[in-house]
Amino acid sequence: MLRSKTRDAILFQIGLAVFLTIILLLILLPFWRVIVTAFIPLDIYTREGIPFFLSPTEWTFEAFNQLLGHSMFPRAALNSIIITLLGTAISLVLTVPLAYGLSTRNLPGRKLLMTLVLFVYLFSPGLIPIYLLITGMNLTNNYLAIILPPAVSVYNTLVMMSFFEGLPEDLKDAARIDGANELQVLWHVILPLSKPILLTIGLFYAVYFWNEFFTPLLYLNDNDLMPLPVLLRNILISASFNEYVEYNAFSSSSIESLKAAGVLITMIPMLLVYPWIQRYFTKGTLVGGVKG
Amino acid sequence: MKSWKMIFIVCLLVVSQVLASCAPAATPTEEPAATEAPAEPTVEPSPTTPPEPVDIVLWAQATVTEAGAPPDDWVAYDIIREELNINLTYVIVPTGADGEAKINAAAAANDLPDLFQMVSANNDNRGALLRLVDLGLMAPVGDMMPLMPERVKLHYNDQLALDLVTFYGEQYGLPEPPPIPKREGLVIRKDWLDKLGLDVPTTPEELFAVAEAFTTQDPDGNGKNDTYGFGGFLNGEGLGTRFDFIMGAYGVPGVWNFTGNGDFGLNVRSENYPEALAYFKSLVDAKVIDPDWPTLTRDDFRARWKQGSFGIMWEDFAALTNKSNYEPFDTNFPDAEWIPVAAPTGPDGDTYYGVYTGRGQIFGVSQKAADDGKKEAIARLLEWMATDGYYLLGFGEEGVNFIIDDNGNISTEGLDPVQAYTAPERQPYTQMRNQLIFYNSEQEIVARYPTYETIAGRLMDPMAFLGFFQNEPWVDGRGIQVILPPANAADFNRYYTEGLIQFVLGQKELNDETWAEYLAGLDSLGAADYEAAAQQSLIDAGLLK
Repeated sequence: MLRSKTRDAILFQIGLAVFLTIILLLILLPFWRVIVTAFIPLDIYTREGIPFFLSPTEWTFEAFNQLLGHSMFPRAALNSIIITLLGTAISLVLTVPLAYGLSTRNLPGRKLLMTLVLFVYLFSPGLIPIYLLITGMNLTNNYLAIILPPAVSVYNTLVMMSFFEGLPEDLKDAARIDGANELQVLWHVILPLSKPILLTIGLFYAVYFWNEFFTPLLYLNDNDLMPLPVLLRNILISASFNEYVEYNAFSSSSIESLKAAGVLITMIPMLLVYPWIQRYFTKGTLVGGVKG
Repeated sequence: MKSWKMIFIVCLLVVSQVLASCAPAATPTEEPAATEAPAEPTVEPSPTTPPEPVDIVLWAQATVTEAGAPPDDWVAYDIIREELNINLTYVIVPTGADGEAKINAAAAANDLPDLFQMVSANNDNRGALLRLVDLGLMAPVGDMMPLMPERVKLHYNDQLALDLVTFYGEQYGLPEPPPIPKREGLVIRKDWLDKLGLDVPTTPEELFAVAEAFTTQDPDGNGKNDTYGFGGFLNGEGLGTRFDFIMGAYGVPGVWNFTGNGDFGLNVRSENYPEALAYFKSLVDAKVIDPDWPTLTRDDFRARWKQGSFGIMWEDFAALTNKSNYEPFDTNFPDAEWIPVAAPTGPDGDTYYGVYTGRGQIFGVSQKAADDGKKEAIARLLEWMATDGYYLLGFGEEGVNFIIDDNGNISTEGLDPVQAYTAPERQPYTQMRNQLIFYNSEQEIVARYPTYETIAGRLMDPMAFLGFFQNEPWVDGRGIQVILPPANAADFNRYYTEGLIQFVLGQKELNDETWAEYLAGLDSLGAADYEAAAQQSLIDAGLLK
């Protein structure tokens, strides 16, 4: 009986390992193909297409050189960084008080406020009213046109609110008894305990703003303000319209390589940030917070 | 905890600083010229006081999207300001759906620019213009035509194009000449023909035989069974436009019957259509066409001919022969040679290369601009672009960015390569060229597609390919621009396209019964009404008697 149980457990573990390996391969193989495509030399691509493996001597950084060496790349990267940092900061500054307010059970009008927040979540106003608002505020050609409309995500607010609600009420009460007002409670008690949620939601916002592509096209008319995703798109469009190329655009990379390199370039900053923030996702937050 | 507070405070400081630095800048249209004093509203202009400059906002697509817009200190802006008394703001609009969304959003806000290019996700520029006209957002432009005589002569000289932008008795669009017309064609690997001792095919049967030989007889001599006769991909409705030369041999190229033979309507109504499909199917069944054709993208297709995968294809002349495009193929196969060939002639003597739709860019003037009295200034600007500003906006400054040689051709010989108009660094300065400047003169085309030597020392002349393609028998299908899609266009097109592909791939048997079922299915989706409406639109536009 015991042996049978052990054998079942081993079989289960093997099955689980096989299943997870398959899932892992499903995730890794496309990613591997993107990497190979990004580094494949043009002559091999035009001769053989995209192989599964490249020999160590066949890799090339040409696609990256072409994208990173573009005259507009530094400016576009800087624009993306500004939009991401500014957008994330503004979003957190606006989301934290809203989430904290909604998490306060005795907040006057809390239900109405919550209904209004959920109303926006359920019924999006659509493109035109926001466009009218942005142009009416004379924000065209301004980063704030990209940043303000999505600055408060209802989903992120609800996630943060739920985190705040999970914090022991005793902590807040203790601060209130000591004479702290609500802002002081938020500042001195809640925020120091909220690193994980601030970093998590901050990452959500940062990824959103880093990848933002459509609203810059819509609201920014000045090419010098365009962020990285727009520049990468423009480079790829130019590369694909090669029947109209009459200038000296002798690309040393294939379009597929440029696309793959573009994907990796835009992914890398977020991939670098993610592991650093990930440790906060699961870290305990309340150790020693309340003493009996 | 202290460090946490510090982070928060720093964040707030950063936010406040960046917010301050990002304070809304005045839009360029509102910005007066730097050298001008503010105008006194109460002062009447006198003959000695120059009139106040007119602000004109132009939205147009870029010729080279990656290159960006010209810088603020572009000499053309100064010339336009000084000579035309116009403050021009040039905004590059995105291509496709993104560009359409941008224009639609501006239209909804009644914030359309003064002069702008119609952008449509499905290449229906005329439809995009008509929608804005119906919303009352566009100004008639017929009265501007006499103000720009040279431009009308060079750009707006096609009566059909003008008719297509005339609605309710008024001309609303400025139809720019289409990109080089009839620029695609059928090409074949001459080195493969020579190696196998074959002649250029002239009939569908001969074409099949050559394709079969290319597939089975190792035309590249590498000892591998790795070549196909044909290569292609799907683009557009039905079987796309890249196999029209096959359908043309049976008199049914394209979706609509514009050939003038028989009644106007969908080509699938023709009794020749199933015959043409059967021939296409025989190519697929014999595996003489690259089997990936239904799913290949254009880029994949182009990568494959550069890899020497097939020997017969339909391709754009510049995508094939322009030096930057041909170079990878040339490197792989220096002794190879593509030659243009005529369309095959079918059993009834039909031969059509393809359908020429003549879609070009359309510009329009917003009603807002007309209300502000800007039409005269816009006409002045457009006329200048076609006359004094032509070379500056098309090529740059003479002697610096280009020269005109003894033969009257544009050249960069002897110029600093970085300053040459062909250099990547110079592309921002000629971004308007394909939209508003060029009109397909011989000088332009020769300059854009020069002759060069291949690696093996053979002379490659893109113009020879273009000339060959243009002289082939094309069907004049420009009337397609007035045909409005049906309300159920998505369902209709899906059924139409998927059905044809299923027949060709053998997923559905092709016989009289199944073909009749297919047509009945189209009718159940309103094909007859669609055809009647299309016919009426063509009659109304004077394109069909």
